[in-house]
Amino acid sequence: MNVVVDRARCEGHARCELTAPAVYELDDEGVVSVRHGDLPPELESAATAGARACPMAALRVTS
Amino acid sequence: MSNAATNEPTEVSDLDLFAPDIVADPFPTLDRLRELSPAVHLSRYDFWVLTRYDDVRAAARDWQTFSSAEGVALTPEFNERLAGSILSADPPEHEQLRAVLREKLAPRGLSAVREQIRSYADRLVDGLVERRTFDGVADLAAVYPINVVADLVGLPLEGREKLHPGADAIFAAFGPFGSYAQEHLDALISYQVWMEAMTDRAKIAPGGWGETILDAVDDGRLNRLSAVKAMSAYMTAGMDTTVNAVSAMLRLFAERPDVWAELKDEPTLAGPIFEEILRLESPVQGFWRVTRRDAEVDGVAIPAGRRVMLHWAAANRDPRHYPRPTEFELRRNPVDHLAFGYGIHGCAGQGLARLEAAELLASLLERVDRFELAGDVERRGNPIVRSLRSIPLRVVPTGARP
Repeated sequence: MNVVVDRARCEGHARCELTAPAVYELDDEGVVSVRHGDLPPELESAATAGARACPMAALRVTS
Repeated sequence: MSNAATNEPTEVSDLDLFAPDIVADPFPTLDRLRELSPAVHLSRYDFWVLTRYDDVRAAARDWQTFSSAEGVALTPEFNERLAGSILSADPPEHEQLRAVLREKLAPRGLSAVREQIRSYADRLVDGLVERRTFDGVADLAAVYPINVVADLVGLPLEGREKLHPGADAIFAAFGPFGSYAQEHLDALISYQVWMEAMTDRAKIAPGGWGETILDAVDDGRLNRLSAVKAMSAYMTAGMDTTVNAVSAMLRLFAERPDVWAELKDEPTLAGPIFEEILRLESPVQGFWRVTRRDAEVDGVAIPAGRRVMLHWAAANRDPRHYPRPTEFELRRNPVDHLAFGYGIHGCAGQGLARLEAAELLASLLERVDRFELAGDVERRGNPIVRSLRSIPLRVVPTGARP
């Protein structure tokens, strides 16, 4: 599984980071970045929860 | 939307979703509509209403099908007035308008104003705690966000009394032109006239959002009319919404002293409490879209060119998504609620709303031991924003002798 990020859509609301800090962080520009290229299985549910919390629908978890 | 066959019959109802008795307590009606069908055609005003969480979320995300370009209000008259505003635009125009204030509204940009907001919250709460009894709406909820946003925009103090009545009237005008909207029309007009006059460098404070909007006019990113609409849109959006979310929280603390006591013990619950009250109350009940092409909602066909209401409040109480949806649950932390909408039109100011709530709660937590109701809570009849007129409160200050 990995996370597809639409950086242009991200407004830095940081809901993903708050929900799943092990997966998401905001970079120096205040835009989301994903800590792992390939998600370790133990972080898959956190990644999904963090993506759901994105108010802009900028994150998509794919298998 | 799913690829299931569109074979569900169309449910039609002549129910008036905006009749005063339904506005006073909309939830039983919304529950019935939600159970009736994924999409119900309300014939009286000729629109479809979506009430189930998954459907509302999917439609909000699918702006190509559920377009905002023809306006997000019900009536053609008001949609005409909204034309050119950020609410009534699809990409790419929408992205261009939204970019103007994006940096200021992002949580990172807001960190620059956190202290200013906190110090205002402290001053306001100090004065109210000293009084012991006050009105949670008139003296706090309707004062705090309005001055916060007006300060951020850079509006002068004189004339601010027009802001909250004006925003309340504008939200009402998104619905049918019924008695509430008619009775508040003067407030709407005087607000719009004032906001237009304030779209002027000579009137606003330097360094604020108003100046950022006027800069965008000077360098050709916005025209003058869009600038006026942007000023009004950001100002309006920042008022009745937060006013009513804060009102609902204050009421909760007075009616549920156990919630306040738990929050006192565990201040990190402030965020989850704010999200749960937003889910439960959904100040903005819903907005409309227009189908750009034939759409299908959970098996129900909606033809192209029809108006569709995305009912945030109904979706936020869908038992398919939130177990025990009518209960306030302190630890639910519903991070995916739809009170701010969702997707490209999701509330641009939600970071500010959360910041305002966090700073106000921090201020109250330091100063208030207990809230009590000192009279009857009264509702306003605004058909679009679920709102309170009055919450008579008595507070017991921190450290006061019993």
